[in-house]
Amino acid sequence: MNTATIPLVRVEGLKMYFPVSASIMRQAKNFIHAVDDVSFDIPAGSSLALVGESGCGKTTTGKLLTHLFSPTAGHIYLRDGETLVDLVTLKRKDLRRFRRRVQMIFQDPYESLNPRLTIFDTVAEPLMVQNVGSLQEREERVAALLEKVGLTPASSFLFRYPHELSGGQRQRVAIARALVIEPSFIVADEPTSMLDVSIRTGVMKLMMELAQDMGISYLYITHDLAVARYTSQEIAVMYMGKVVEHGETESILSNPLHPYTQALISAVPIPDPAIHRTPPTIKGGISQPIDPLPRCRFYDRCPRQSTACEKEHTTVQVDGRKVMCWLYN
Amino acid sequence: MLEQPLLSIRNFTLEYKTRKGYVSAVNDVSFDLLPGQAMGLVGESGCGKTTIAMALLRLSPDNAVVRQGQICLDGQDLLTMSEQQMRDVRWARISMVFQAAMNALDPVYRVGDQIIEALNRHKNDLSLEQKRQWVAELFKLVGIDTKMIARYPHEFSGGMRQRAVIAMALACSPSLIIADEPTTALDVIVQDQILRELTRIQKSLNMSMIYISHDIAVIAEVAEIIGVMYAGCLVEKAATRTIFQSPRHRYTKALLSAFPSIAGPRTELVSLPGDPPDLLMPPAGCRFHPRCAHAIDRCCKEKPPFEQVGDAHWAACWNPC
Repeated sequence: MNTATIPLVRVEGLKMYFPVSASIMRQAKNFIHAVDDVSFDIPAGSSLALVGESGCGKTTTGKLLTHLFSPTAGHIYLRDGETLVDLVTLKRKDLRRFRRRVQMIFQDPYESLNPRLTIFDTVAEPLMVQNVGSLQEREERVAALLEKVGLTPASSFLFRYPHELSGGQRQRVAIARALVIEPSFIVADEPTSMLDVSIRTGVMKLMMELAQDMGISYLYITHDLAVARYTSQEIAVMYMGKVVEHGETESILSNPLHPYTQALISAVPIPDPAIHRTPPTIKGGISQPIDPLPRCRFYDRCPRQSTACEKEHTTVQVDGRKVMCWLYN
Repeated sequence: MLEQPLLSIRNFTLEYKTRKGYVSAVNDVSFDLLPGQAMGLVGESGCGKTTIAMALLRLSPDNAVVRQGQICLDGQDLLTMSEQQMRDVRWARISMVFQAAMNALDPVYRVGDQIIEALNRHKNDLSLEQKRQWVAELFKLVGIDTKMIARYPHEFSGGMRQRAVIAMALACSPSLIIADEPTTALDVIVQDQILRELTRIQKSLNMSMIYISHDIAVIAEVAEIIGVMYAGCLVEKAATRTIFQSPRHRYTKALLSAFPSIAGPRTELVSLPGDPPDLLMPPAGCRFHPRCAHAIDRCCKEKPPFEQVGDAHWAACWNPC
């Protein structure tokens, strides 16, 4: 493998099926295909936005990447030197070493911080769990990091509790906590959607600056295409457990290929009354992918469906972009 | 030609009594709304927009204290009405679509019956058959299959429930609808459908609408005029195009620069430092001055008046753009 092209993260054939109404007495007969054969690469120092509406599988994918639970099938590779290590097949004792390298930032700044720990305890916790540094070193590292995320002067924040901070400040603490262990990869699940707009921008910019300074890669999960535009070099669009389109951000936004991506983009309101957008023409809403038929997931709603769409579909490459649509075969 | 406003708010000031003191939630807000006009009220959390909406319907919580002001609907001051008189106003003259209103539907009653409940109160001169027909018309108006009239809320999807709530808000043909973040809990494609539906209905029935949101993109598409609120104060009001093309208040400008868009060139986003003020002890003078990069001496001492700065354009700023 050429060193320059080894990605930091590689997801291959990832599947997560949840049983529907299983119980002790009854075997599960139906499954929700929450994540269904998802594959993508994230290069080092780059951000991939995972975009989609509710139930598309983006949050489940994020949780799988941080190994909060194990996938039904598939591989999650993390670069280790010159090779890729499959986190899914690692034994528990080896996994510990890799947990340091992947961290998560959650959506709700009011729920993700332990209300009984001081800011110092919260940010230092990963260091304690992974047994890094002496107490003195930890204090210095935490203070330096708080300054870095814009909580200055750090000394006034160290011994406060989460309830004393605003939503934006709490999210900055969550970012500091994710960074303290110096990870290579962060999964951020809607980190700014619960913040006010003027605060949101500051937090987004902070995350991008840190990514550049510290060479961290992101999987940025969001339903908001405008946020995806500002934070990520690449976008992967998910629909009912599948990645339907994946490519460079600006290129997808200006020229979406998959009919679902086209509908999604044309539905986003524009904060400029001078611009008139053509609204999407698709009907209906999203349904849950319970035991879906082996054909295009978007079939029922697609304005360009044909008999070709009734077959099991594959991903095609079109000008450096990946699309899962028979129109481009 | 000067048209009589449908709604006229003058010097409205409201505080919430709490254990720590009085929270100055709305401070000296005045604006007019013409019949058939759609106004967007935009601002971030704590700016007072929902407080005003609830006050319009006299649904403010018990600890709310109105310090001064009038809220006149067709010339009648709602603040001085008795509760009995207000009951005739709610639903019939002003109705509201709340945030995540889909959760406001009673789960144990059929959706159609919940609308009939409102009609029983306000349009009881109609026969039951006429009411049922009207409910069918409303469902068609908001785009729900009429067979759903006899179904329960849990059988509706999120988007359909929101449409049902809009149908309920329209049932008694009010002259003003207040929509408070009606699409926040919905996915973007459903949001687009609901927004277009709402605008179409508002225009065809010539209703006035106050659309409350923190999302200026949605407001840009739905509203003809926009009122920008910050920390309880109305800081700017103008036609939508004017607000976007020539904002005068520094906060409006900052808000617009902080908003990412998927259209046009990828411009640099500008973030606002700090946080909105604590309304228990709001800053002296202009409430925005601690975060304003262009604050002058006067901003810290005197509260700027909300005055005309252009054609149908008002702002409260000592050092406008």
